[in-house]
Amino acid sequence: MSVVVIPAGLFAIGLYGVLSRRDLVAVLASVEIMLGSATLLLVSLATRLGTVDGSTAGIEAIGLFVLVVAAAEAAVGLAILVTVAYRVHTTRVDELVEVKG
Amino acid sequence: MSELVRNAGYIALSVIAAAGALTVVFSRDVMRMAAGLAVFLLSVAGLFGLHALSFLAVAQIFLYVGGVLIVVLFAIMLVHRSDEGRPALESRHDIGSLSVALGVFVLVSFSLWDVAPRLGDVAPGAGTDALGDVILGPLLPHFEAAGVLLLIALIAVLVVMGGDSE
Repeated sequence: MSVVVIPAGLFAIGLYGVLSRRDLVAVLASVEIMLGSATLLLVSLATRLGTVDGSTAGIEAIGLFVLVVAAAEAAVGLAILVTVAYRVHTTRVDELVEVKG
Repeated sequence: MSELVRNAGYIALSVIAAAGALTVVFSRDVMRMAAGLAVFLLSVAGLFGLHALSFLAVAQIFLYVGGVLIVVLFAIMLVHRSDEGRPALESRHDIGSLSVALGVFVLVSFSLWDVAPRLGDVAPGAGTDALGDVILGPLLPHFEAAGVLLLIALIAVLVVMGGDSE
């Protein structure tokens, strides 16, 4: 079995969650699944295909940077979620149609 | 670790990760959704470990399970507070969303099918000393940029949360 199938399947599950969920919390959780799957695909391909110097340290460093970006995204996303919930009193994406502040 | 054991662990952890992801997508209870997310993140950390990326696995547990997931739980407690119990998470499962997700899965799988090798043994991990040499050596600008990005995210959170004085 190819190493691509599992991360791609997990990414598809997360994408389906983003498209089908109607609550911001669930949408953000689905985005986290997509990010985790993308990181998994990145390191899976990198470890199997190998690096120029044969060391996996660079792979871990790049994966660590992806984790940092994902953590920053989650922090900002959750702050927006809480702010929207307090301002508009809903977290349903159907009702959040205005982006004007 | 033999290749057979490694492949069995990979498949088992993949199944657990998929179960956690499906729980996030289909669960109507918000706390079950958070538990499913925790299972998914822990399984991904295990998969990192099976790829001999032990530091990345530990970082995933510390950063995601210990950090992001706690923040998600706090957000859930702040947002979904109600006297009549937790509201159910609604979804609109339609054929369009399923088609898009399946299309992306097929696209990614087939486009990378020939490039990606199959399951097998992986090279041993480099260790934290080599990782430190890389991060504080050729990747030092990236490391600094990641720190600046975290600082910007911190300021952005403060602006978003405290910007409204009304």
